[in-house]
Amino acid sequence: MTRTFPLYLGSLALLALAVLVSPIVEAGSSPSEATPECAQVSSPDYYEIDLVTTRKVPGARLAKGKGEVTYAASPFGISVSEEGSYLVNIDVSMSNVRLDEDKQLVAWVTTPQLDQIKALGSLDENLRVTGQTDFNKFLLVITLEPKSKEPGAMWTGPVVSRGMSRSGLMHTMAGHGPFESEPCAVYGY
Amino acid sequence: MNALRFAGLLVMAMLLLPAHQIQAQEMDHSMHMHHNHAMPMSDSLVWRMAPMDGMTMPMMPGMMDDIPDVGAFLPGFGMDVSMYPEAKPSEIIDMADGDTLHMDASLVRRTIDGREYVMMAYGGMYPGPLIRADRGSKVIVEFTNNIDMPTTVHWHGLRLDNAFDGIPGLTQDPVETGESFTYELKFPDTGMYWYHPHMREDVQQDLGLYGNMLVDPTEEGYYAPVNREVPLILDDILVDANGLFPYGEEAPTHALMGRFGNVMLVNGITDYNLDIQAGDVVRFYLTNVANTRTFNVTFDGARIKVIADDVSKLEREQFVSSVIIAPAERYIVDVYFDEARTYTITNAIQAIDHFRGIFVPEIHQLGTVTASGKASEDYAEAFAEARTNEDTIADIDGFRRYFDKAPDHNLRLTIETKDLHPMTMRMMEVDTLYFPPIEWSEGMPMMNWLSTGDEARWVLLDEDTGKKSMDINWQWEVGDVVKIRVFNDPSSFHPMNHPFHVHGQRFVVTHIDGVENRNMGWKDTTIIPVGSTIDILVDVTNPGKWMAHCHIAEHLHAGMMLGFEVRERGAGPQAGR
Repeated sequence: MTRTFPLYLGSLALLALAVLVSPIVEAGSSPSEATPECAQVSSPDYYEIDLVTTRKVPGARLAKGKGEVTYAASPFGISVSEEGSYLVNIDVSMSNVRLDEDKQLVAWVTTPQLDQIKALGSLDENLRVTGQTDFNKFLLVITLEPKSKEPGAMWTGPVVSRGMSRSGLMHTMAGHGPFESEPCAVYGY
Repeated sequence: MNALRFAGLLVMAMLLLPAHQIQAQEMDHSMHMHHNHAMPMSDSLVWRMAPMDGMTMPMMPGMMDDIPDVGAFLPGFGMDVSMYPEAKPSEIIDMADGDTLHMDASLVRRTIDGREYVMMAYGGMYPGPLIRADRGSKVIVEFTNNIDMPTTVHWHGLRLDNAFDGIPGLTQDPVETGESFTYELKFPDTGMYWYHPHMREDVQQDLGLYGNMLVDPTEEGYYAPVNREVPLILDDILVDANGLFPYGEEAPTHALMGRFGNVMLVNGITDYNLDIQAGDVVRFYLTNVANTRTFNVTFDGARIKVIADDVSKLEREQFVSSVIIAPAERYIVDVYFDEARTYTITNAIQAIDHFRGIFVPEIHQLGTVTASGKASEDYAEAFAEARTNEDTIADIDGFRRYFDKAPDHNLRLTIETKDLHPMTMRMMEVDTLYFPPIEWSEGMPMMNWLSTGDEARWVLLDEDTGKKSMDINWQWEVGDVVKIRVFNDPSSFHPMNHPFHVHGQRFVVTHIDGVENRNMGWKDTTIIPVGSTIDILVDVTNPGKWMAHCHIAEHLHAGMMLGFEVRERGAGPQAGR
């Protein structure tokens, strides 16, 4: 089967994709500098998740945050599930947030299709929480929830910030560029 | 700025393509093989298209007629396969202190999945003979090279005398065809080790030159009791409709990702089965001898307990759901088969379809365990206990004060390229949104196959001196405790995981991405995922000229190795203590 490729449309689509992902690409990676005194290393910058505010929640319009990704403890140096999905710890930290006394921030992970959602947990008084996931691609979502309530199966409050796992940036080439052969929406985009 | 550069590259890539090639083509690769790549003739071997198992991506425009920039090569090609002796399954050779083993490497006939191949074997066996000896003993191996290429034997993981480490040009001359070399092995550490060539491993090891060495403890109760002990050597091999897929003659192909096989082998066969009694606890000694594949081994729901890694028991035995094992690593695991049924041993991974940008679950059957009847001895209770290994803890205790010291050496893992195929360059520059921590499978067979060590040079960069790979020659003394910080740079042209192997010494992994390792064991090889920073602490005990390198065979030959020299105390500059 052979089909003519609409060159300019494909280019535009790829350009759009490039612009969308550029801030994360730009985040780049450089090794932590070793100090003479002791070893200082943090989680890999490359897999770190930038949390971007929705600017919709009062007190959190200028919120900043990140999810640091490290491997769950394992005797093998890297951790995967029985099915082969990476098992990672996510250390979530937020700043520039003012909360009403009866409110709390809750961190969630969800697949890009939103068909599976798990609560990582409520952020503590230092606006931090650590949780674990084995989703291949996931969104990290921070929502504003009533303090009196334990996180349920799905968030109920507004989204404060969100960010995509590095793996979530993978995009289909079947829907763009020289190989365009099917709509990329098939893959959830 | 990056976005602009990215967009520019995309546009350039498309503008550079002739209009008639900018088509989405559903390609039949088997057809393609016939009209673009010559078939092997009776008296000469030429390249044919690399196997493209499971690939969904259409063939890249401009790459259809390309072949690697080296000749095609298969040992024994063109010869009548029946003239070679048939290899036999591995045997255990129990060796007492001072014993001598006469062992050769030779071309043999192997039958895999009903097809006959000319392959290689140590002692005429697949895998090579399992050398079993007590800790503390010494044995001699009189080795003769009867293959048609020069070779050496490296005794992986042993802290033996430097002269017998098997490194051509460093510890010995290559053993030419028909020549012999005498190796003296000593076994200071209990555990499972392995031996393999240290010349053209991509060919010789891939074709069957590997075997285990099992070093038994001399202490009572060193391990918990089990019903069976079984070595499992994991491997893969690349074949197509015409047989074994050729290797590069002057240099290895597949320099970018290493040569993934498409046929899985356990102990050299595709239909491995172990018959046991229901209720048996089986101790598996796992060794990964594949050129590049990292396995995630599962036992069909049977409980798994890891008790030891390369060079020692772990501080604490640990229950796991699967065993992740990189090339050259070993793990000793106890598995409890409580039911009478057939258990499938699998490699369960999440492959990546780069074309569609998705993860694809893959399960490769490695073998089976058939449990029937009832165990004669019930070790379920001993299995249920995850023991704390005080001897390992005490051994490592002497090194804990060094865990947080500043690194003595900072290594960056990266790659340099030159004259790679233009389409490979374009695609790889564009496809930079996500590099997985581990490449579990072959994601780009054509681009990978076309790359040789001339075009892709893997680099160990000493960030403190700027020296690269074999220009590095670290100077240590016996008694030093050396911290090496290894960073696998995700911003390199093609980041990939690397199993990092240190010769002649042992080390512990103290930190992974800044997180302290809470359950250590002594190792000689460790996996370095993409983007990660791994701190290893080397116990420098063994004088001589050694090397450290990536254990992906094709990466090693593409330059990913360095040298270090250990002198007797007081004979040189001090790095550690």
